[in-house]
Amino acid sequence: MKDSTVIGRTSVVTGRITGTGDLEIAGRVEGDVAVSGEVVIDSTGMVGANVSATRIVVRGAVRGDLTAEEALVVESGARIVGDLKAPRIAIAQGGLVRGYVRTGGMAAAPRPRAAAAAARTTVPEAKARPAAPPPQPQRAVKAAPPAPPAPVQKAPPPAQKAETNHKPAPRGAAAAGARVGPPPPVVPVLKKGTKAVQKKR
Amino acid sequence: MASTVIGAGITIEGEVTSDEDVVVQGTLRGKLIAKDAVSVEQGGSVEADITGGPVSVAGTVTGNITSSDRVDLQNGAKVIGNVKAARITIADGAQFKGNVDMDV
Repeated sequence: MKDSTVIGRTSVVTGRITGTGDLEIAGRVEGDVAVSGEVVIDSTGMVGANVSATRIVVRGAVRGDLTAEEALVVESGARIVGDLKAPRIAIAQGGLVRGYVRTGGMAAAPRPRAAAAAARTTVPEAKARPAAPPPQPQRAVKAAPPAPPAPVQKAPPPAQKAETNHKPAPRGAAAAGARVGPPPPVVPVLKKGTKAVQKKR
Repeated sequence: MASTVIGAGITIEGEVTSDEDVVVQGTLRGKLIAKDAVSVEQGGSVEADITGGPVSVAGTVTGNITSSDRVDLQNGAKVIGNVKAARITIADGAQFKGNVDMDV
């Protein structure tokens, strides 16, 4: 009882609350709360800042992030706008939460916001540096492929020549099989050419 | 019952305003404004100006104390600052450095 701290219903604390011991908030707190002990935010309590404690029980209103080392209990009537982080989190029916909720180990990963912020800061640099040099190689690669297709289109004529020879049966069969493919593409090319010619005329 | 208690081991840096009683067993830095009684208990430390109703000090206060009623500096109290109140008592064993301003 002596170690417990109470912020009364009509009390307003503007500033930081730190230390060890249990804390019951029935009034208003505008300022970070970092306590090693249990923090209870009563139904009349309002906290407009981040709260970190060993154990947090919320029945009132919180606008800020809640971080508990052991457990976080959101009871009916609680209204929270902020992120929740604790190894164990309980949200009772009637408890309102708007924010990112994460259960599990504390040291597992950095805070999502921090990670996102870090990503934002690092990504532009990563894009900016490689962006300038790579495009040129990519263009070179793209420029190269168009060349091969041309030879492929040119390939059919030799096949036709091979077919006209008629002497090697296997070659002719192979040529015939090969020839089945080529004609269709040729037709559209002709159509395009004729259309273009007609339009010009 | 006691409306606001700053327990031992707890430190508040900032302003505390209350319409009810305030009991300080821990540490308070900043400002303390209460409409009712303020009690700085033994082991309690206040580095702030205190404004309130009846103020009783058994701990340490560094700052001015203004009371609409009375100020009691109890045995073991250590007060550095001016005291302004209608009535004031300084108990034997209380340390006090500052001016006293009583409504005369």
